[in-house]
Amino acid sequence: MPSGPAAVASNDRRTVSVVVPVVERPEDLCDIYHEFAAPLRDAEWGFEFVFVLEPWARQLRDPLEQLAKRGEPVRVLQASRDLGETGQLKLAAASCRAELLLTLPAYHRVQADCVASLLDHVGPSTDLVIARRWPRKDSWFNRLQSRVFHRLVGLASEQPFHDIACGVRAMRRHLLDEIPLYGDFARFLPLLAVQEGFQVKEVDCAQHPRDRQTRVYSPGTYIRRVIDLLGVFFLLRFTYKPLRFFGLFGSGLSLVGGGILIVLLIQRLMGRGLADRPLLLLGILLFTLGFQVVALGLIGELIVHLNAPKKPGYRVRERV
Amino acid sequence: MPNSAQISIVIPLFDEEENVQRLVRSVQAAMREAGPWELILVDDGSRDATFERAGREANADFRVRVIRLARNYGQTMAMQAGFDSARGGIVVSMDGDLQNDPEDIPHLVAKLREGFDLVAGYRESRRDRFVTRKIPSWLANRLIAAITQVPIRDNGCTLKAFRREVLRDLHMYSEMHRFIPALVAATTSSRIAEIPVRHHPRRFGRSKYGLSRVWKVLADLLTMTMIRWFRERPLLMFSWGSATASLVGLGFLAGTLFVQATFRPVKAAALVFPGSTFLWFGLAGYLFMVGLIAEVAVREARRVA
Repeated sequence: MPSGPAAVASNDRRTVSVVVPVVERPEDLCDIYHEFAAPLRDAEWGFEFVFVLEPWARQLRDPLEQLAKRGEPVRVLQASRDLGETGQLKLAAASCRAELLLTLPAYHRVQADCVASLLDHVGPSTDLVIARRWPRKDSWFNRLQSRVFHRLVGLASEQPFHDIACGVRAMRRHLLDEIPLYGDFARFLPLLAVQEGFQVKEVDCAQHPRDRQTRVYSPGTYIRRVIDLLGVFFLLRFTYKPLRFFGLFGSGLSLVGGGILIVLLIQRLMGRGLADRPLLLLGILLFTLGFQVVALGLIGELIVHLNAPKKPGYRVRERV
Repeated sequence: MPNSAQISIVIPLFDEEENVQRLVRSVQAAMREAGPWELILVDDGSRDATFERAGREANADFRVRVIRLARNYGQTMAMQAGFDSARGGIVVSMDGDLQNDPEDIPHLVAKLREGFDLVAGYRESRRDRFVTRKIPSWLANRLIAAITQVPIRDNGCTLKAFRREVLRDLHMYSEMHRFIPALVAATTSSRIAEIPVRHHPRRFGRSKYGLSRVWKVLADLLTMTMIRWFRERPLLMFSWGSATASLVGLGFLAGTLFVQATFRPVKAAALVFPGSTFLWFGLAGYLFMVGLIAEVAVREARRVA
């Protein structure tokens, strides 16, 4: 933070682009703008708000353009096809120039006054700051869902996180350029950032009073979340050593299959014929299945090996 | 351009704050008569004061540099980072926990200058427990030497010297640093030598052997073998597997016909042998198709945009 008046020239004002990806159940966007612009203005941040709209949200454009016309720093990016949160973030990052980026969900999660402190936490030793809603005042069901989800997240990540679904994140803009983001991984940005070597910090924020509603999702959504989590887990843990994972699984299968075959062989030698024993099929099936799984692991290793020279697998923080 | 006379010493460090100063001093003392040298300390995401202490040494001696990685990547990546940044024509890798003795470095370099591309140290009179560490270690080294066909006596000894050119095409990841000699031998024809080096018992920290380590080494060996022999033509490797599976399938096919011809229909109706035949041919086909995918992967990776 600049110390004395002599240190602050007008173009030294800290700038932040606030990105609001509108993906699901948006609340009043102008409301959100006013609520979150106020603390930024008070803390003397130079800011702009960038709303990214999916095709179905076209009608939300007008009120925002009204704001822009009145001179508020608001921009609207209209996607021509469904991008999902990840695609929207990338689109927004490409068009933002400020040094810092703050993502806000299109609905109320945290009290607005905490965003200034979130931004302040981004510094030389912290690249990404995420908000954690604490203490939580919503229903026990929401809290239960959250706890279960984050318990699973803890399996995938070395750094413990408590509220990655919150979506309120402050980061250096170039983070989005350097982390490979695709599919549904925007939700797991903190995990991916840690993997890439960025410093991530979690800051407690007061929960917004309008965030109390009990949320029950369709079974399909839960399943998709778990699948995403499995995918992230695999990528984070085994991205450089797929054979470890596949090989373990595959050789386990082959061992079981091989065991069955050996038993059958012994019995055959002792006189019991093989041609009518379905167990033989099971033994062969497991045995060959193991090889198939290992073969996939080898493919994975091949892909890793072929791509290794392309970029360094490490990130340097500083040199002396 | 690398300065061919200079010796670059690369030492990865993880939570070694107590050892940093002593390490640097002993390197400085050992290298006094050895010609131009530089020391690259790589802080692999240490959580203690390793970086601060190393930085102090770097500021005091221009020959010492520190690279701080963004998080803990593991010894292999830390070494790779050091190699990438090394400016000397000769690169020496060493452990940061004082088990290796810097006094051995001049010997390694001298041997290298006799006309070798890689000189590996092997620990003699290892001060370790006999049964639980020395025997599995001996077994592992023999296994690795047999599979990779690179006769290194002591793969676990980090103290090695290389010519810079030999490292040029080395891109390590995961835990490949144990196999640097085999990796190097795979891509270039290198002359490799070994000399005995001193070994000090580990002062702090636990040893990391155990079953999971054996498993990891086996998996890495498999990967390396595949890469070494089939990097350019993976379809060949998978075809081998496919052919083997086909042979077994043929065997079961013969069995099927035999059963049809000789046994009572009841046994034949169980369809066990025909089923088995299909399974083996299925595996053969699957492996071949995976081989095709592998070819696609190799092809696409070669495509430079």
